[in-house]
Amino acid sequence: MTVRQLVPVVGDCEPADLAEQLLGIESLPPFSDEAIAFAADLSRALARAGRGRPEIEAAAFWMRRAKLNRLAASFAELGTESSLLVPRGIVFHVPPANVDTLFVYSWLLAMLTGNRSIVRLSERSTDQAAIIFDAMRETMAHHPAIAARSAMVTYGHDRDVTQVFSDVCDVRVIWGGDRTVNEIRRISLPTHATELTFPDRFSLAAVRVDAYLALPAPDRDRVAEQFFNDAYWFDQRGCSSPRIVLWVGDRASAATAESEFFDRLRTVVDTKNYQVDGALAVAKLTQAYGEIMDHSIGSYRALGNEITVLGAVELPDVRGEFCGGGLFTSVSVPSLDELPSFVRRADQTLSQLGFTREELRDLAVRLNGKGIDRIVPMGSALDFNRFWDGYDLVQEFTRRVTVDAGRR
Amino acid sequence: MTDIQELFSRPQFSLPQQDKEQALRGLLNDLTRSHQERCQDYRQLLRTLTGKDEAWADADRLEDFPFLPVSLFKRRLLKSIPDDEVFKTMTSSGTTGQEVSRITLDRTTADLQARALSAIVTQVMGPQRMPMIVIDTPNVVKNRNMFSARAAGVLGMIQFGRKHFYALDDDMKLDVDGLSAFLDQYAGQPILLFGFTYMVWEYFYNGLLEAGLTPDLSQGILFHSGGWKKLADKAVDNAEFKRGLGEVTGLRRIHNYYGMVEQVGSVFMEGPDGFLYPPNFADVIIRNPETWEVAAPDELGLIEVISVLPHSYPGHVLLTEDLGRIHGVGDPASGWAGKQLSVIGRLPKAELRGCSDTHAASVEEQGVA
Repeated sequence: MTVRQLVPVVGDCEPADLAEQLLGIESLPPFSDEAIAFAADLSRALARAGRGRPEIEAAAFWMRRAKLNRLAASFAELGTESSLLVPRGIVFHVPPANVDTLFVYSWLLAMLTGNRSIVRLSERSTDQAAIIFDAMRETMAHHPAIAARSAMVTYGHDRDVTQVFSDVCDVRVIWGGDRTVNEIRRISLPTHATELTFPDRFSLAAVRVDAYLALPAPDRDRVAEQFFNDAYWFDQRGCSSPRIVLWVGDRASAATAESEFFDRLRTVVDTKNYQVDGALAVAKLTQAYGEIMDHSIGSYRALGNEITVLGAVELPDVRGEFCGGGLFTSVSVPSLDELPSFVRRADQTLSQLGFTREELRDLAVRLNGKGIDRIVPMGSALDFNRFWDGYDLVQEFTRRVTVDAGRR
Repeated sequence: MTDIQELFSRPQFSLPQQDKEQALRGLLNDLTRSHQERCQDYRQLLRTLTGKDEAWADADRLEDFPFLPVSLFKRRLLKSIPDDEVFKTMTSSGTTGQEVSRITLDRTTADLQARALSAIVTQVMGPQRMPMIVIDTPNVVKNRNMFSARAAGVLGMIQFGRKHFYALDDDMKLDVDGLSAFLDQYAGQPILLFGFTYMVWEYFYNGLLEAGLTPDLSQGILFHSGGWKKLADKAVDNAEFKRGLGEVTGLRRIHNYYGMVEQVGSVFMEGPDGFLYPPNFADVIIRNPETWEVAAPDELGLIEVISVLPHSYPGHVLLTEDLGRIHGVGDPASGWAGKQLSVIGRLPKAELRGCSDTHAASVEEQGVA
């Protein structure tokens, strides 16, 4: 039983040896100077190597020095006079195969909070992933303390290997959807270990019609571009990519807004040169026709192969298997009041335009945990944050130790 | 207006393209209205696509009929008959865990299907039933706990032969002794052969080579189907396939055919020029997958198949996931009229992105029922 190690060095190794090596070294303190210095160096290396690749650039930007300092400061505020946060120990990450950069965030937050990490990477490797691995290896060569605490490996769907890594971990993090979560969950964990799961999610967008229509044309173009980023960056298959667009307001204005919004989106799609290939076009057609039948969808509008808009009168349950590539269900609703009865636990992100903080807080209060983990401005749906799927990863990767000196 | 019986009574592959289009158009307009009336899902789809809630208005051109993507039959059971008229349900082949298409036939459509296959095969082979070599294992039809597309293909063809000999065992090994015994009796005579393209090459042809056999099948006729994908990996195309088999067995009459379980009646038979021809009751259109317009002659595009036989489910106009070209129209005088199709293969699937690790299932090629 061997696995291929990719970071910090390339080579074949025994999973048990790797586990042994990580067990034999101590965790760093949270937000150590060493960890922050490493992350800042990695940020520079990624920015250099990933120029022109927005996903890598976003990751580099996310871990720039200023941001790390802010993160360290907010972490410090979590401690109190009588309690402190300490690393959990070894975090075993299983990121999704199809989002190249996600493992970087998962691992980075575990690393910054002092933990040692094992990352199981997909055997399918892209150019983009290769650039990231190169940058990591190069940076770790100058940071032996980080290199000794990070092991990124790739292997097939081998339960035995996953068991070896699970046996030594204190936290297991499973990304990659329902099937992956269910498969890996069957592999036991040490009694003290915790597990974070990121199953399949569903996301939507809400536009306040009067606010949108009040925007001057250049601003509407900007909204279309922000929506494009939210929807198309991961081929609309990211868990935060919106699939339903709600037009909140009176029906006639909603129709006007919707129609001109998707026309503007078409222009953005052209500018960004986003293209749907034949196979995806057929998959979209199949899904769209299926949904028309499933939910008695009233209208179908295709703006080329890249934008398909299904117009529904009521919120249809279009959750589940999805083709992606720009298929939107567009619904006109009088107010956000329609949402609480529709929202389910699987719903993750609501990206919105034009609502006040009070309206949005009020919605969250009324949802009361039924679903929706994040409400973000249009254009920020995919921005990674330490708060994800309702977890604060920084707190999940640490334990709180209380210190009570007693009465003296 | 032509009725369906006339399409059966005329020799298959004989209709000049213009006559065929005219005959099919009327039947398709009627079929579209009939499915609209009887299949609620289809009615909903037409209502949404046309923006009108009225009976289908006659289309002038075959390309103007709405097409359903074949995969829709994996997602939904679409039928135009009440449950008590269901005669049988066919399923497409598929690898484990992959969704299969479900096609509902009533007695009328099942009859049309049987008559269609018979009309097509006897047109090419002649009416006489010949001794037959089935290039498959006998268990493919004995083991009936799953009505697979492979079994359906074999079951559909064995009726055209007699004295059936199954040339492979369960391990796909050529039954050399059995073959010798069969040939002792029938070598040099008209023999019918049938198998899936890949199996014919990999197990029959290679099996003969391995055993050093060169049986005399010069009077034989081979029908095969199932796609070229696996053989393309081995750099075997139709020309090489025919050359190899001809060299080892003397077989000259080799007919590839193309079809799918989702559309009853669409069996496109390879003519002497190597092109695939639609039978009288079917036709084909190539569409550009970006504009969905009809492709120019010789332009590669998605294959849309049309048949006037599906009465029990709305499968008369289907968009496949196969790429192909139309090269021209055959000369009725040659006995092979109609559009000349070549099938290039399946539309390649790009790696999908996204957070959920749902792997694009590898697609097994489909046989013909």
